[in-house]
Amino acid sequence: MTATFDNLSAGDIIDGPKFAVSRESIRLFCDASLDYNPLHLDDNYMKGNFGKTNFGGIIMHGMNNFGLISRMITDWACPAGAVHRRLETRWVKPVRPGDTIQPSGIIKAKQSTEKSRWVLIDVVVKNQAGEKVATGEALVEFPRDLFCQ
Amino acid sequence: MAQAEAFETDFWKDANLRKVWDDIVPGEPRKTIPYTLTKEAIELYCKSVGEDHPIYFDEAYAKTTRYGGLIAPPSIHILLMFSCTPADDWMRSPGTVNAGQSWSYNIPARPNDVITLQARALDKFIKRERLFVVHDNVFFNQKGDVICSGRGWTIRPM
Repeated sequence: MTATFDNLSAGDIIDGPKFAVSRESIRLFCDASLDYNPLHLDDNYMKGNFGKTNFGGIIMHGMNNFGLISRMITDWACPAGAVHRRLETRWVKPVRPGDTIQPSGIIKAKQSTEKSRWVLIDVVVKNQAGEKVATGEALVEFPRDLFCQ
Repeated sequence: MAQAEAFETDFWKDANLRKVWDDIVPGEPRKTIPYTLTKEAIELYCKSVGEDHPIYFDEAYAKTTRYGGLIAPPSIHILLMFSCTPADDWMRSPGTVNAGQSWSYNIPARPNDVITLQARALDKFIKRERLFVVHDNVFFNQKGDVICSGRGWTIRPM
């Protein structure tokens, strides 16, 4: 059922797309984002330590998580005539080739302001082991005159 | 990849030209360069994260929506951050680790928009022996309209 501002309740779930992470998907994200940091490309470089951290091999871009969460939010919001207005994220665990990750959201609160209506969504990305790799919060606007088709 | 051909993909090449944590002055503007966003660049970005909504690809469909034409996904700023900054920008320093980001979206970027960026380090600090920089960014289209604005927290290489 397409979400409407009125029928949404705190605790409602949004399921995002599963995403299989591979060396190829990471390389594609390098080409698409122009972020060629060796963190994502160079296994020898990644054998070294980063301060107290050793990743042990290349890792996916944190912003690939961000892009997946954003895709989930727009795919959910647009059919409802709503607009993705904000996304805040933190990376909590590295993602590696071979992992499968999936974002999801849970409605946290609704709020009306003088000119519009807003939905706050807690977002999380988990890996195949159910571990959180990213957390955050999104804000979606439900204009009184619905925006998308 | 067409856009990568004109872009220095070896981030080690200009590493010695880039500011380290000690050199970064919060409040000082970063050098930026205008960038023309192409339909092809949008499509490649969409492919990399699995975006498949027709509003990004299908011009005939997009014209029937309230946007009146093709748009880019909100998260296109991920590409714009690198396409609007020069090779000696410290965001490209190898070993830069992204700790978190927050972005607000005003209007969508569109194919053929000429995008400009106003950016600066806003703050820097040390936490648990790690060197952090907070960066602050606003992207505009050729009309001067704000597309999106955001902050990022990065851990600088040591």
